[in-house]
Formats: sequence, structure tokens, C-alpha cells
Amino acid sequence: MNRFVFVLFFLWSAKAAFTQEIDADLLAVKKKIDAVQQFSATVIFDLEVPFIRMPTKSAKISYARGEKMQFSSSDFVMLPKRGLDFSMSEIFEYPFITVERGIKKKDGLLLKVLNVIPTDTRSDLAMATLYMDTKANRIVESEINTRKDGSYVLSMQYASERDILPNYVETTFAIERLKIPFNFMGKDTQIDRKKMKETETKTGKIKMQIKDYSVKKD
Amino acid sequence: MMPLLYAELVKIIKQSKTYYALGAIVLIELLILLIAYYQGSTILDLLLDSLKQSFYFEGTLLNGNLIMYIVLNSLWFNVPLILMIITSGFLTDEYKDGTLQTVMLQAVKKKQFILAKYVVAILFTVAVMAFMMLTTFALAYAIFGKGDLIVYIGTLNFFESDEAFRRICLSFISGAIAMVFYNIAGITFAIFIKESSKTWIVAALFLVVTNLLLKVDLGSSKLNTLFFPKLVDTWQQLFVYEVDWIRILSNNVLLVLYSMFMIILGTYVFDKKDIG
Repeated sequence: MNRFVFVLFFLWSAKAAFTQEIDADLLAVKKKIDAVQQFSATVIFDLEVPFIRMPTKSAKISYARGEKMQFSSSDFVMLPKRGLDFSMSEIFEYPFITVERGIKKKDGLLLKVLNVIPTDTRSDLAMATLYMDTKANRIVESEINTRKDGSYVLSMQYASERDILPNYVETTFAIERLKIPFNFMGKDTQIDRKKMKETETKTGKIKMQIKDYSVKKD
Repeated sequence: MMPLLYAELVKIIKQSKTYYALGAIVLIELLILLIAYYQGSTILDLLLDSLKQSFYFEGTLLNGNLIMYIVLNSLWFNVPLILMIITSGFLTDEYKDGTLQTVMLQAVKKKQFILAKYVVAILFTVAVMAFMMLTTFALAYAIFGKGDLIVYIGTLNFFESDEAFRRICLSFISGAIAMVFYNIAGITFAIFIKESSKTWIVAALFLVVTNLLLKVDLGSSKLNTLFFPKLVDTWQQLFVYEVDWIRILSNNVLLVLYSMFMIILGTYVFDKKDIG
């Protein structure tokens, strides 16, 4: 009898472990995001990387569900490869589990902290930590760790309580120092090798103001 | 003075060397354009290789403004060397052909004669720079079009097309001042040396030494500011992201003062020297 009870208990706990439920608040956020079929907008961005000086640039962005965000600009623009997915489609692309990490206060808002861990090996995402405003059903900040492209942090601001998509996004990312071949350097460029070694990896930031949204919902 | 200037200008227009100089400049431009056309993308890829791991690039950096900047880099050695050979020849040829003695038999003051040479050298330099600027603009924009400029000076600087154009124009002006300085130095060397081939060697050596001394730290910021080899790169300082206008202006004023000193020295020596 004891053995039978133990087997039953084992099976129940194994089932619980393998069918871990996804956080309900995240599902609500996902549902809200999934309602967006496609959108286009204008992004005005400032790149802040210690060894790059670039004026404020603008680009058109367009997104369609199931596809990657597209950028176009009449100017030359340089955008970080990761951290522009503020539709969060990459996080939800493959099956995942969530682990609740409690509540954290940020900028006067009480945010629910969740770890999102993909269960599919195809996902490039290793883990994401999401800070959710459960009242407005949206993600305010996310720390993304990828398998190939390092880590980055996305902070989002919204114009109004009802908005699904942010009007301001700040992405912080790690970047390796620039390796410039010597013959491209200005003739009197001074090379401080000690300083160069100290700055092997730097943090870059891109600040994006997003306006003129055209959103198509289901 | 005016008839002397007119006579010197006629000589420049009539001598074949002038057209060799212009031809050489066009050849340099064409070579740069050709290399950029066939290998420009590969060179840019090499430059931006480490960034491509982290960034997407939209648009092209291989454009007329980049070509203009590359052509500007010929101001380090190629263009001043060609110009110094031509302008020093204004005087060495007169020594070699014996025409100097003929001129001096006329009612011509030595000081006025040499000053006319200096003035014509300045006009010639400015004209060549204007020619270089216009031909490069025409060719570079016609073939590669407009676009953002990328320059590495301490940091990787990006300039929007209009801003890049403005900086390139100012660089040509600042570069012209440096070229005038070199050419005045060329004539001054010719006064001292008289013989053309020796003057060319000294002019080339002067250029090499100036380029080498550009990186030398004299241990004092004041000395570094005043030392002439540190002034000849002023045109490149216009591609620093936040331009130090005071430095640019003071460097150019200093170069003008150095040029004036060379003229005074050359005129004095020529006046005192036997023309034979």
C-alpha cells in the first residue's frame, strides 16, 4: 500500500514538474501583444557607444506578426543586432516556462519579476528576466540573455496607460572595443595601449523615440 | 610690381610643368576613384568588421564624401610634393636657363622680383587646390553620389552628408593654407640651393621630416602648439566630432605667420645674394 502511495505521489510531482504553468499575468501581456497584427512607426534614435560618435538618426520600422522587425532609412544608420525587439516576439517564439521572482519597485511602479526560460533548443534565448506592470498588462523592462549574442537590457516607456507599444525604448548592450586597422587611423591619432586594454568590452546604449505609430490589430 | 606679376602668370600658363601638375592631380584622383570603385566595399568591411558582429548597417558609406576625404589625404605627401617641385622650379629654372640675369639687367628690383615669385606661387597653389576640389567633387559625386561620411580620428565619427560636405570644403581651405606654406618653403629652398634637383631632394626631405615630426611630443603643450609640423594636419582636425574652432583658427594663423616669415627670409637672402 505504502509503495502504491509513493508511486502515485512520484507520478503527481513528476507531472507537476513537467507541466509547469506559464504565469497568468505574462499570458495576459502576451495576449495583448499578440493582438497586434502589424505596425509601422518612425524611430528617432541616439546611439551612445564610447568609441562611436553619430548624430541623431531616424528610421522607419515595420513589424508583421511572425516576422522580424524591418528597418529602412534614407540615411546611413547603424542599429544594434539585438535589443530592438520591443514587440517581444522573440521571447514568445518558442515554448517556455516561467519562474516567478517576486515584486520589485521601479520608478514608483510595483513590477512583477519573472524569469522566462525557453524549453526549445532552437531558441537563441537563454533566459529573460521580465519586469511587468500587471496593472497595465505590459512589460516595462527586460533583461535578455542570449546564447550567441550576449546580454542586453530593454527599458520601455509608454505614452498612455492603454498603449501596447512603447513610445520610448532604451537598450543597453555590451560591445567589444573597436579594432581599427592602423592604416585607417588619422595621422596624428595617439594610441594608448593601456587604455585600449582597459576598454576591451564597453557598454553601449541606444535611445529610441518611437512616433507616428500605425497599428493594425486583430 | 603688376607687370612682374603678369609676366610670372604668363610663364606659369605657358610652361608645360603646370599641366603636368594638374595631370598628376587628376591621375591621383582617378586612381583613388578606381580603387574605391573596385575595392571600396572590401576596405569598408575590413574597417567595420568588429562592429558588424553587434550592429546592422542600413545604407552605404562608400559615397562621394568618403572619396573626397580619401583624396584629401593626398595632402599629406603626394600633392605638396608635386606642388613644391613645380613652384621651386619657378626660380630654379630661371637660374638654370640664365634668364634671371637677363631679368635683373632690366629695371627690376630684386625684392619685387622674388616677391612676385612668392605671390604667383601662392596663386598657383590656391588655383591647383580649387581645381583639385572641383574635379574631385564632380567625379566623386557623379560616380558615388552623396551619403554619410565615416572617419576614424580617436573615435569612429559619422557625419551626415551636408555636414560632411561643409567639413570637406573647410578642410580644402585649411589644406590650401598648408599647401601654400609648403610652396613658400619650396621657393625659399630654391633661393638657397639654386639647383632644381637638389631643391627637389630637400623639398621631399622637408615633407618627410615634417610628417615624421607630426607625432613627436616636444614635452610642452606650448611648444607642441607652435611647432610647424604640428600645424600641417589642421585640415584633418575638422573631422574631429566636436571641432576645436579656436585651435583650427590659431593653427591656420600660425601657418600664415610661418609662411610670412619664410617670405621675409627668402626675400632678404635673395636680395643679399649674388644672382650668378
